Amino acid sequence: MTDSRSARVWSLVAAQSARHGGPVSAADVCLAAVAAVEVTGAWLIAARGAEAGHLMRVTDKASELLAELQVTLGEGPGPDAAASGGPVLASDLDETEAVRRWPAFAPAARQAGAAAIFAFPLQLGAIRTGVMSLYRVRSGPLSAFQLGDALVFADTATMLLLDAQDQLAYGAGPAGTGPGGQPADLTRHRAEIDQATGMLTEQLGVGIGEAFVRLRAYAYAHDRRLSDLARDIVARRLRLSPDPDLREENQA
Amino acid sequence: MDGELLSDTFVELTDTMVVGFDVIDFMHMLTNRCVELLDVSAAGLLLADPRGELRVVAASSEAARLLELFQIQSDEGPCLECFRSGQPVQVPDLAAVVHRWPQFAPAAGQAGFAAVQALPMRLREQVIGALNLFRSAAGTFDRADIRVGQALADVATISLLQERNMRHSDTLNEQLQTALNSRVIIEQAKGKLAERLGMDMDMAFSLLRESARTSNRRLSDVAQGFVNGTEGLAGLNASGPRPPAPRPPNRPGF
Repeated sequence: MTDSRSARVWSLVAAQSARHGGPVSAADVCLAAVAAVEVTGAWLIAARGAEAGHLMRVTDKASELLAELQVTLGEGPGPDAAASGGPVLASDLDETEAVRRWPAFAPAARQAGAAAIFAFPLQLGAIRTGVMSLYRVRSGPLSAFQLGDALVFADTATMLLLDAQDQLAYGAGPAGTGPGGQPADLTRHRAEIDQATGMLTEQLGVGIGEAFVRLRAYAYAHDRRLSDLARDIVARRLRLSPDPDLREENQA
Repeated sequence: MDGELLSDTFVELTDTMVVGFDVIDFMHMLTNRCVELLDVSAAGLLLADPRGELRVVAASSEAARLLELFQIQSDEGPCLECFRSGQPVQVPDLAAVVHRWPQFAPAAGQAGFAAVQALPMRLREQVIGALNLFRSAAGTFDRADIRVGQALADVATISLLQERNMRHSDTLNEQLQTALNSRVIIEQAKGKLAERLGMDMDMAFSLLRESARTSNRRLSDVAQGFVNGTEGLAGLNASGPRPPAPRPPNRPGF
């Protein structure tokens, strides 16, 4: 089930980060994903608002070239994943459908050595943090198992990018992390967390991404589980104050 | 049973090749049609996520959706058993099976349901999810209702799997992930709207759906525009008068 899968994926990412000794980063996710999903390379583009992405991480030269090609040509699985809000699984770039869909990018990507590209949006509902792409020199679909892993790697990268925003905004530790620094598994209890995040946009007068950062920061500062906190907000037992420094919440 | 609506529904369920086909709308339509056609109070639909877990993709009411979520969270219940076995599970009286599902049975009762019929969404060996029918009164489900419910689930399953084959790509998985994320966007939009207008989540969801219908757009697009603040809601004066004081929201425990 998901719990053991996310634990396994996290341990792969943590092992990757232990090799260089620094804090866990999205780059570790890319490297661990390449090994676990059995692809050739990976790259990650962070979203900058609604604008075209800013290249964050690449695992090899070809990945860098592929990322640049997509930006230069303005087409490819990555931009499509960002636009559609779902993964784009292009398992054979020689196929007619791929060539029709990306007339400039598909042949250029083949030239660069990619036969298959799998792009995963890094997102939580309307919160978009970027796109992670995997490429392989051999064509063919991901197995169901590999796809499941790839999705969990993408979830992990999403949480790490959000953590980076938390730290920029508040200098605090990652609020959504559980024991051992592992990102919270958001698949359970998630409806209430999502509803609470939406409610906070109004209570705090902020955008959805900021609302989620504030929700997590509050949970961290008050040592509460994200799902319990969300439930209190949805039940209107708790409101958050627009000023993060005041911490004057109305307990109903 | 409304014969005309039934035949219309089968046509709708095979119509997956249209431009702009949306898995989540398709599933919502299926659960709503179950309630309209069959003697059931609510319907919910679970699909398997490649991550390895069942996800609630659609439900005809908030109560049914919360109960489906509860089954997943507590990891027990007839819908999970149906998915795991690939076989229908019939529970005519939930009060009599508390020993079997000590968490699910009371939760279902609290949500106002007394009987459940879980139907697999299955094509040969492949089980992609489960369609679950809930009734507020105990008693066996009508046999004709069960057959029609299973037929609807079968046609929906075949349509989804065929859609994937026809396009030579993993469209089902792509769209399922999009749908799951749409579900998150819709929850975020419900929260924002519920807070803005001081209403409960069910009412917020109805308003969002109404707005999508009025503007003839996809629910997920409307929700996304609203969450991002890039657009208001059609048919809704968001800055208008606030409705009466909010009703007590969802029961704790879900």
